[in-house]
Formats: sequence, C-alpha cells, structure tokens
Amino acid sequence: MTTRSVGSRVLRLEDPRLLTGKGRYIDDVGRGALEASFVRSPYAHARVTDIDVSGALDIDGVVAVYTYEDLGGRMADPLPLLLPHPALTHARTAFPLACDEVNHVGEAVVMVVAANRYAAEDACDRIRVTYEQLPPVVGIAAARAADRLVHDDVPGNVAAWLVQEVGDARVAIAAAPHRLVLDLEVERSASMPLEGRGVHARWDPDDDSLRVHTSTQASTSVRAAVAAKLGLPVSKVEVVTPDVGGGFGVKIVHPWPEELLVPWAARALGQPLRWTEDRREHFISSAHERGQVHHVEVGFDEDGVLLGLDVTFWHDNGAYAPYGIVVPIITSTQLLGPYKPGAYRVEFTSLYTNTVIVTPYRGAGRPQACFVMERTMDAIAAELGLDRAEVRLRNFIRPDEMPYDHQMIFQDGRPLIYDSGDFPATLAQLRKLVGWDDFAAYQEAARADGRQVGIGLACYVEGTGVGPYEGGHVQVQTTGRVDVATGLTSQGQGHQTMLAQIVADELGVAVDQVHVTTGDTRRFGYAVGTFASRTAVMSGSAVALAARKVREKALRIAADALEADPGDLEITDGVVHVRGNPSAAVALSTVAVLSNPLRYAFDEESKQATQFAGADLSKPPVAEDDEPGLEGTDYHSPMQSTFANGMHAVVVETDPATAEIKILRYCVVHDCGTLINPMIVEGQIHGGVAQGVGGALYERMVYDEAGQLLNASFMDFLMPYVTEVPKVEIDHLETPSPLNPLGVKGAGEAGVIPGMAVIAAAVEDAEGFPITRMPISPSELFELRRLHGRDRVDEARGDR
Amino acid sequence: MKITGEATVAAPVERVWWALNDPSVLVRTIPGCQQLEETGPDAYRMTVTAGVAAIKGTYDGEVRITDQQEPERFVLHAAGAGAPGTVSADVVVRLEAVGDGTHLTYDADAVVGGVLGGVGQRMIASVARKTAAEFFGNVEDVLTGRAPAMPAGAAAMAELRPDPDGGPRVFTAPARAPGFGAPAAGLGVALGAAAALAGVALGWLIGRRSR
Repeated sequence: MTTRSVGSRVLRLEDPRLLTGKGRYIDDVGRGALEASFVRSPYAHARVTDIDVSGALDIDGVVAVYTYEDLGGRMADPLPLLLPHPALTHARTAFPLACDEVNHVGEAVVMVVAANRYAAEDACDRIRVTYEQLPPVVGIAAARAADRLVHDDVPGNVAAWLVQEVGDARVAIAAAPHRLVLDLEVERSASMPLEGRGVHARWDPDDDSLRVHTSTQASTSVRAAVAAKLGLPVSKVEVVTPDVGGGFGVKIVHPWPEELLVPWAARALGQPLRWTEDRREHFISSAHERGQVHHVEVGFDEDGVLLGLDVTFWHDNGAYAPYGIVVPIITSTQLLGPYKPGAYRVEFTSLYTNTVIVTPYRGAGRPQACFVMERTMDAIAAELGLDRAEVRLRNFIRPDEMPYDHQMIFQDGRPLIYDSGDFPATLAQLRKLVGWDDFAAYQEAARADGRQVGIGLACYVEGTGVGPYEGGHVQVQTTGRVDVATGLTSQGQGHQTMLAQIVADELGVAVDQVHVTTGDTRRFGYAVGTFASRTAVMSGSAVALAARKVREKALRIAADALEADPGDLEITDGVVHVRGNPSAAVALSTVAVLSNPLRYAFDEESKQATQFAGADLSKPPVAEDDEPGLEGTDYHSPMQSTFANGMHAVVVETDPATAEIKILRYCVVHDCGTLINPMIVEGQIHGGVAQGVGGALYERMVYDEAGQLLNASFMDFLMPYVTEVPKVEIDHLETPSPLNPLGVKGAGEAGVIPGMAVIAAAVEDAEGFPITRMPISPSELFELRRLHGRDRVDEARGDR
Repeated sequence: MKITGEATVAAPVERVWWALNDPSVLVRTIPGCQQLEETGPDAYRMTVTAGVAAIKGTYDGEVRITDQQEPERFVLHAAGAGAPGTVSADVVVRLEAVGDGTHLTYDADAVVGGVLGGVGQRMIASVARKTAAEFFGNVEDVLTGRAPAMPAGAAAMAELRPDPDGGPRVFTAPARAPGFGAPAAGLGVALGAAAALAGVALGWLIGRRSR
C-alpha cells in the first residue's frame, strides 16, 4: 500500500512557490496594460448634478473617461441581486457607475483609463463632480429612527424583515421561573485581505473572446455575470483567478463594478486594461461586516436549562444589498450553537445606511451569533451562581440526539439539521486543556498578587460546506502526472495540497505527482465558489469521487492488459499490480497510454496504443459507453450542510491601571470531522484566532455622523500583529460527518467565530461587570470601570 | 465634525470691519488664498492652496451667506473641493466689541470628504484653528500697522480689477512677501478653508454695507 496521505501533516505543495516570491497575484498579470482609476464619491449621500471632465482630457496618456451616461445595454442596469430571498422585499443594488445618486463615500462615479495609473489618477483629480448633498443615514440607530431615508422608495430603511419561530418562545419565557434581558452590540469590521481586489481583461478581436483575470472567490459566477452584462456567449469568456492574497469573504461578492467596467472598457478600446485596488479604495468601496445590535429575552429553570429564547436584532447592511440577507440569516440560525433553546423565536430587520455595503466576512454572522448566545449563557450562570461550563453542559444537544433537527431553515434554504458532533466530549477536552477546574485557585492567587486575571469559554456550531454543488476533474497523463481541477478558487488555504492528498490516496500515487488547479474556467466550468468553509467538503468530496471513477477505469484497463480480475488488483506508488504478486504489474502511466487508442505515435510510450500494437480485435478500440483517456469527472451535491463545532477558552489579564487587556492563554478544541491535513487545519485555526482577537480588541470602522470613514488606513485601523496574537493550543476531536464520502466538515472560518464571545467572557471574569459590546479597547474598559465604580482599584493598591 | 474657536483682534469693531471691507486686504491675509471672486449676491468664489502633511492641493471654494443679523452674527455656508478632498461647512460667526478690541467666535459644523476625510481628519480641527488664528492675526497686523495695509508696490502685488465690463470683481493675491501671509503649506484645510471663507464673507458683508 502507498502510505496513506489523508490524516498526515503533508507540507504545503504551494509554499515553495509562494514563499520564494513566485506567487502570481492580480497585479502581476498583464504588465503594460492600460490602467483604470476611479473618481469616487466624497459624500455619503448626494445627488450628482454635474460631471465636468474637461480638465482631464488634456492630460498626457489619458485614453478614455467614462460616466454612467456612456454605459449602454445591460451595463446601464443595476448590479445583480446575487441572493434573492422572499423576506428581502426592498432589494437595492448599485449601478456600475453612479447614475444620479451616491449612497456611500467611495461609490464609483467616473472611470478614467490611461496609459498608467499615475496619469489616470491625475485625470481623476481634475474631474469636477458637482453634488447636491442629502442628509446621510449613519448607524443602526439612525436607520431605525428612519427620519431620513437612504433610498426614497424604501420605507423605514428596511431592506428585509424575517421571523423564524419554533414553539411559542414568548409564552415559554413568561412562564419560566427565571428570566433575563440582555442588549448586546457588535461593531463594524472588515475582511481586510492583504491583497485588495483587482481585474485584468484582454479582448481578442480576432475571435471575439474575452479573458478576465480577477482576484475573486467565484470565477465561474464572475464569468456568467460578465457574459450576461456584456452580451457575450459564456463560451467566449474565460475567467482565471491567479494567486489570491486573501479573501476572507469580501471577494465572494461579484461582479464588483470594476469587474464589469474593466472588461467592458477593454472590449470598447480593443486594448488590455487593468485595475488594482488601493488600500483606501478597499476601505471605502469594498465591503464590511459585523455591525449588529441585539436584544435578548431568555427564560430558564433553576438548573439553568433554557425554556425559551427570544432574540430580536438589527443588521446594518450598508447602502445596498447585493449579497442578500445571508449574514443575518446565519446569525439567526447559528446563534443556537450546541444548545437546545427550548422554544425559540428570532426576528431580524436588515437596514440600509449610507455606508459601505455589508457582506460576509470570515465567520459571516456567526461571531455575532456566538457572542449573543455565549453572553446569554454566562449571564444565566451568573444569575444562578452556577459554573459557566456546567450551564452549557446542561443545555447541550447530546450525541445520541444526532442528527438533531432544529426545525429551522438555514442560509442555504435547507433544513437546519446537525449531522454530527459530541459536544460533552469537546467540552470535557477543553476543560482539561485549559485547566478550567483549577482556574479559581489561580485567579485567587493572582488577585493576592494584585493581578486581575479572568477566564472565558465559548462554544459554536458552524454550518459548513453548503451547496448546491462542486465538481472535480481528475486525469492521469501518460507521464504518470495526475492533473486535478476544481472550479472554486483558492486564497492561500492550502487547497493544492489538501486536494492532492485526497486524490493521491484514492489513486494510489504519490502526493507530489498530483497537480491541482482551482478557479480557472478553462479547466473546470462548473462551480459555486469558495465560502462557508466548503472546499474540503465540496471539492474534496468531488475530486475523491472523480478519482474513484479514474481508479475503476484504470483497474479495468490494467485487468485487460494483465489478464487478471479487476477485483484482484491494487495500485501502489503509481503501479497497478495483482494483489500479492508485484511482478504482474503495469504502471498507471502505461494504463493512461492504453486508455487512448492511437493512430499516430508521438514517443516510445505511445507506440503501445497504436493500431498494430496488438489490440483486442473482438471489440471496437473505444468500447460503447466508454471514452478515451484515463480521466473522470464527478460532482458532490449533498442534501444539506455539514455542521462542524468547536469550543475556545481564553485566559486574560487586565492591567489595573491602564486597562490593557493581555491574552495569557488561548485554547481550542476543534471538531471538523476527518482531518485531511492536521497542519493545514491548525493553520486555519491560527489565522482565525488572529482575526478573532482583532475583532475582539482592535478592529472597528469609525464612521462620523456625516458618513465619513475616519480610519480608512492602516495607520488608524488596527489589526493584530504577531505580537498581539497568542500562542494557540489546539486539541482535535474527530466526529466524521455522515454526509460526504470523506467524513469531513469545514474548518476555514471556525477559528474566528468565538473570538469576541470568549474574550468578552474572560474580561468580564477578570473585571466583575458585564461586557455587552465588542470590540473593547483599553479606553472603553477604563470607562466601564468608572461606570461600575471599579476605577479605584489602582488607588486602593497604592494605599497598601 | 464640530469645530469651534475664537480670536481677538486688537482693534475696534469698526476698524476690523473697515479692514475686512477691502478684498485686496483679505486676499493677502487669508492663509493660502490665491484668488477671490464675487459671483453674485450673497456668493463668492475663492481659490485656496492648503494641505495637511502630504495631503495638499488647491481648493476651489464657494460661500453663501444667510441669517445675517448685522453687525453681530451671520451664518456662512462654505463648500470647497480639490484633489485631496472636499470640505463643506456651516459656520456661525459672531463679532463683539470688547473694550478697544473685537472678539470673534466661530462655530463650524463641517463635513470633510475624500482622502482628507479618511486620513487627515483627526488633525483637521487643531490645524483649522491654527489657520483661523493665523488669518485673524494677519488682519490684526494690518490694522495695527505691524504689516502695511498696502505694501510698497501694492499696485503690482494686489491687483484689483474693478469690473470695467460689469463682470465679477476678481482679486488676485500677490507673490508672498517674506514673513507676511505665509502660505498654508502644512496647515489644515477644513476649517482653514472655512475660516478663510468666513473672512471673505465678512469682507463681502462689510463691502455691501458700505456701498
């Protein structure tokens, strides 16, 4: 047997390339092309009354200047509503270039094309746009007040309103022996990949075809959108995603205005054209997430067991809603975590504001959901004087209750049924890992030393691997090389390695023989995209199924060649042989040769497949129902999502004087089913935890009342450095999913989900007063101490 | 963004108004002002060069005056746009005679957009106050004789084109004399522009009264 690859810490095949500067990102594509730059609205809400481009026209190198007036056909229509939903009654999307109104700072108004970006930006500076300012709506409170409207025809600024209810939560809460009310808030943040968006387009006038390179999470869907908007047959549009320097959700949105305008102008001008987003553009014209305000009412018994949960929340969807209401739907369903809520009612209102659009950012509504549910669990424990872990344990869904049907509809329109997980075991493992039961003694000892430490715990369940499908293509070349393609894209997660491991095991070849291509419509035309921690589940399963087809065909052809029964054959290190008789063997590369009957040889190997090489004359060279080539394509399309889970614990220390919050330990127990590559999964968790720390302690979007983003640069938007990211201690638990051939569940987003919840819990434990709003800065903690009369800690110690 | 500030000019209100009545003085006392133009009743246009650190450029600004309560109060609506960003502000300006001097207060509600809004905004309030102080200091210098009301060679330095064809009056700043009316390089623009525009508005108001 070839050494099994799945489950082992195979070094990432992509790393030698990426770590030695050989990555090829969007800005590396098409050097020398014309470049675009955009005039963007400086106002959050305004009417465009005049655009004077005359000053730009005499600048050297300027090729074209486009405004909305220049857009014809379907380019002049609003951008697509990607995810329609019956509750999204007032969907509004932007135009590629502002038509007559702008609804957030950063909205594109004019596109300039020039010989280079320098000239294009100079031209932008000389274009005079006259605006009539309108009163802006900034923040959830202003949107709810609705004395100003973002869109005149959207009453109350309400894009969508949705209620899901299981049982009668309000009656259950009213009848419960204990009740609590909590108001919980999460501020805005953003994906903030190192590499922003970018597009390069090349029109070939000789065959009327278009090739688009774009830094996206959804190549096939960009292709469909570009073809539709430009009136081209899909077969004449290729979309290629090169290396992507991070997506984290923001690049699942498509088509961005620039993703349409650049190909459109490249065709109009008959010249290659590109645009690379700069950091300020990314802050003000890409997408944000997280901003939500929640009101919780909960009823429970003396043991802390939930009887009824009623959650109402308000989601700030920004100026437009192209990505629908996926984020608040995820919050409303994933809020339940590993718990049985008793009766459950959840209601959300998705509101327009004059700010950058809100679309999924790694975690996608789950960090808010986890924050709300876990804060509620901690509040129940505090109310009853119970251990926080014990309260959670009493509310868990038990392993023998799986699959567990919450009787709700998930973000994919399918039922919210948990397929797997052992929550009590996960909790027990975490308690042991972090030393939960010994912490009280440590806290007491620290307090005696004048130190404030606290511990927190947070649990989540994450629906991963949503449909509708992904596909895979596996082909064994006559050299023995195995080429694999799947349509979804990669942003550095290690897909090339992980998918290669799966195929290597299925085919019995070495991992380094397997070469994986993602996100290239020339190689695989059907795909959905990379989001919702779905690549291992969806494309992993698809390439496994495709590889099984290839294996079956290889064994059949080899059985003919070896005059053996296919059932007696196995493949080891790329050689098909009779089990127990290594001498009766044929290399997989030879099988690939034999799979494709030839008239013309092109090398020594290929002579074996030519007409006089002794083929079986009793049947046609390619049998009925067979195809030439040693390749296979298959798809994975499950009935529903798989549900991964995990639990985090953190120990923090808060400085009594400065209110600085320091993380002392960060522990993770993680269950994503079968581990394909533990090292890659741990890397995903590390990155997720880093973003969770950022979301809890640093990252926020500071808008002023006029809708200006005040911290639109890396000077002012704080991201954690390696110095702020703790060492992450990880234990794995593997409860395989029954929903796919590999038993896997997604792992990409998990690390970020409990960050705000767990750190809030630990700070609360250290400080002794409730933390209800995240992120939290030292200044805010300092203010909270004053509010709760705890600001004398420092003086008290000084007196000792 | 709210910006408030005050200034005292060591000259009686009447003298302050007299000084502000002369656009050729204003064009030299407003930091960074290159040109100002009367565009109609209650309206002026001006060009100011200003910047915060690396974010500098030339702004075209317009002002509109409302709510005049002569002589102590008016509201100025200023809007300026340039490559680095946009500034629009509603500024309440008050004048009060205090002893032998004049006490001016301004109370601005400004919207700052573009790169300036996202990157430079935190510095703007303090820089704007500094620019306003510089403006009022320049006015005082003129009034107290520390700087000449009309320097030598004034005809060449401050050109007054008194509408021969009934067109707008345009006033162009002279090349900066050393130590006088230093350009606003390194200074903020938001209230810098607004304060400058306030100065223009004052001059305009006084000018209208004297006609």
